[in-house]
Amino acid sequence: MLNDVTFGQYYPAKSFMHKSDPRIKLLALIAYIVALFLAKNFYGLAACALVLIFAVIFSRVPLGSVLRSVKAIIFLLVFTAVLNLFFHGGEHLLVHWGIIKIYREGIIFTVFFVLRLFFLVMGSALLTLTTTPVELTDGIESLLTPLKWVRFPVHELALIMSIALRFIPTLIDETNRIIAAQKARGADFESGNIFKRIKAIVPVLIPLLISAFRRAEELGDAMDARCYSATKNRTKYKKLRFGWRDLIIFLTFASLITGVVLFNIYAAEIFPQIYEYIKLS
Amino acid sequence: MTELSENVISFENVKFSYSGSDGVYAVNGVNLEVGRGEFLSVIGHNGSGKSTLARLINGLLEADSGKITVFGMDVAEGKNSIEIRKRVGIVFQNPDNQMVASIVEDDVAFGPENLGVPRSEIGERIDWALRAVGMDEFRHSTPTRLSGGQKQRIAVAGVLAIKPEIIILDESTAMLDPKGRREVIEVVQKLNKEEGMTVILITHFMEEALLADRTIVMNRGEIVLSGTPEEIFENGDKLEAYNLCLPKITEIINSLNEAGMNLKNVLRPEELAEEISESFKSKGITSAESSPATFSENLCTGEWDIDIKNLTFTYSKKSPFATKALNGIDLHIAEGEFFGIIGHTGSGKSTLVQHLNALIKLPQAGKKFKKKKEKKGQPKPVLPSITVGRFNLADKKCDFRALRASVGMVFQYPEYQLFAESVFADVAFGFKNFNKQATTEEAEKAVRESIEIVGLDYNEVKDKSPFDLSGGQKRRVAIAGVIVTRPEILILDEPAAGLDPLGKKEIMELLHKLHREWCKTVIIVSHDMDEIAENCTRAAVLAGGGVVSCDSPSALFSERDKLLSLGLDVPLTSKLCDGLERSGITVRCDCTAADFAAKVKEIYGGRADA
Repeated sequence: MLNDVTFGQYYPAKSFMHKSDPRIKLLALIAYIVALFLAKNFYGLAACALVLIFAVIFSRVPLGSVLRSVKAIIFLLVFTAVLNLFFHGGEHLLVHWGIIKIYREGIIFTVFFVLRLFFLVMGSALLTLTTTPVELTDGIESLLTPLKWVRFPVHELALIMSIALRFIPTLIDETNRIIAAQKARGADFESGNIFKRIKAIVPVLIPLLISAFRRAEELGDAMDARCYSATKNRTKYKKLRFGWRDLIIFLTFASLITGVVLFNIYAAEIFPQIYEYIKLS
Repeated sequence: MTELSENVISFENVKFSYSGSDGVYAVNGVNLEVGRGEFLSVIGHNGSGKSTLARLINGLLEADSGKITVFGMDVAEGKNSIEIRKRVGIVFQNPDNQMVASIVEDDVAFGPENLGVPRSEIGERIDWALRAVGMDEFRHSTPTRLSGGQKQRIAVAGVLAIKPEIIILDESTAMLDPKGRREVIEVVQKLNKEEGMTVILITHFMEEALLADRTIVMNRGEIVLSGTPEEIFENGDKLEAYNLCLPKITEIINSLNEAGMNLKNVLRPEELAEEISESFKSKGITSAESSPATFSENLCTGEWDIDIKNLTFTYSKKSPFATKALNGIDLHIAEGEFFGIIGHTGSGKSTLVQHLNALIKLPQAGKKFKKKKEKKGQPKPVLPSITVGRFNLADKKCDFRALRASVGMVFQYPEYQLFAESVFADVAFGFKNFNKQATTEEAEKAVRESIEIVGLDYNEVKDKSPFDLSGGQKRRVAIAGVIVTRPEILILDEPAAGLDPLGKKEIMELLHKLHREWCKTVIIVSHDMDEIAENCTRAAVLAGGGVVSCDSPSALFSERDKLLSLGLDVPLTSKLCDGLERSGITVRCDCTAADFAAKVKEIYGGRADA
């Protein structure tokens, strides 16, 4: 049932991407997304694709694993693609079949739109594939540090996130055990209509909640006993450090954004005939 | 014993009650002094106030009246609480619920970080703490992938990193297998001897309590006995009055002394073996052999035999985390057996028993299974098969519901699966699931019978919320909820785990009653070798996903070295037999304490007559 959940879909490997600083990877992802949305033509998109391809190569994650992450949104992708295809107006009518009209501009826009979403999901997946949840939390905490100035509880937030991550496998185990135990008592989770199924979950949910509360209480005691909130000047054992890898990533993504902006401005002058054919509106 | 120079903890007439407990004191007028460097063990039945005592020491709970001082500081004063917690560390029962971080070193760093220790020193403390518990090679590992004993040692390291002077273990070994328990206890003994750390060990295991300099016994919130372990276990009848059991070794001594052997009240098996052989020598017996053990060889085949062939199972197949849990298991369990399954944590015991009522289905019975093309020259792969009575589990058309009604399964800590608003509804859950057409009267009859057979009063508990019952009662209700379908085969995973000695004894008695009256076959999974030796007709030892041996307890436990190397242990009786063997006396017993005593008496008495 929940056996095959490998949380956060982290892919263990030792690669350039795995070893770089989680903060720079987060910032790079943001830069990459900005670039994707800044791009107004296929040249910009191609630049993003090029960077993505290199990132995948240097992550040593099999392409299959990266592509699998797109599976989750495939429905959304097809749905919006079809809508765009049928309802996007334009000048060059290609197909006219009943009320369905497909224009050349519609096809081009749909391809552009689908590719953009596709690259977006692949890029985000690459972050979670190469960064452990723990590193990610550390990275987020570090990036949010400036918010401490406005008394935002950055450390508490990070601690909540890391405890949540720490307990996910434990609670998944627990859920599996309770499901098995109730199944052994004849509980049926797989048949019946939606209401019956919701009702069938009660014998799993209640013990799970009770156990989560019990665990929370014990964890609270254990944290207190280990001097939690003893001092305001808490130290942090692990410090993130920028390295040469991070500089390379920084330069790559800075030039990606610059490139995309330049393409936006000068695209019409590169291969004007081709551009005329593939331009969006 | 260590030289006791000063008291580090002192209790003066301390009382404490939990809110909503109607003025019942969980700790009632306790006076206690603990000296620096002392190793103190605390025993007592569930709910006797042991854990409350621990939490009072470092201010997790606040006393209603009386005075507690730790290192001369008054615990009641709020400003002392951090200083006290820095010097008194507690390791709790469940290792999973003490871990804050997903990486070992981050978790150990948590305490020092809280105290604002500089970064470089945190690194040193992690080094030291992990080395002290022998876990330095796991520094960068994930705790969820470690064994129970390893996790608990990480928890100890997390406490050590704060550099406390007192360490309290609050039933920290209760959830561990024998190897895990040994590991944790060894670490604590070392800290006490080498680092001079004061240790307070709260435990249900008598053999752990024996290791201390001093033992105190708690009953209903009061300290009722205090003294060296030898002194405590000398007065057995008193212990029974405090809802505790005599250690098995003391029972054997008492039984032998009834036959006039006049043995000293010792607590360690080697010492008792010595005592017995001394006693023999004084009668001129230097070498002897008992009559062979008698076995009730009733391995006839019945209607409800279990047959497992070549069972192999892999978790998370085709992922980077694939782990082989079972590897070619062949096992036959005959109808009528009281069968034991032994193995350390992660040896595949739970995976194995979950196959027996198809909670984990065989590949053929699953939907995804595809037949592979046979290759020339290669032997045909033997597919796993299980038959339980008339059910063939490899058959896709097997009636799994009927199977589950006939094969009852009680999971570990079954009380954690209670969910309904009343005991009646919870017990009836299984019955109604399997008997959709049953009338209310039928359901009531079935529920009444199963609540009564587990030893509870039907009219008293049926409308109560299961969450208002005591720990032992909850477990009985959970068992009633499984046997309500009248299964022919009953499987229990660690049925006695976490209970106090008396609770354990009562649960095992209940299982024998069920075996006699309701269920044909009982299968228990256990860590407790004495439990297996006392109760089972046969047992299988699992290791690395395979069956290492499967035999009667006496044959099984004769291979002491093998069991120890597998992270297991042997029961007390085989330790005694080993000890006697060395002084030339061979005792052949079926590994139960009663039979051992009978055989020793036979040797002793036989010569006396001659």
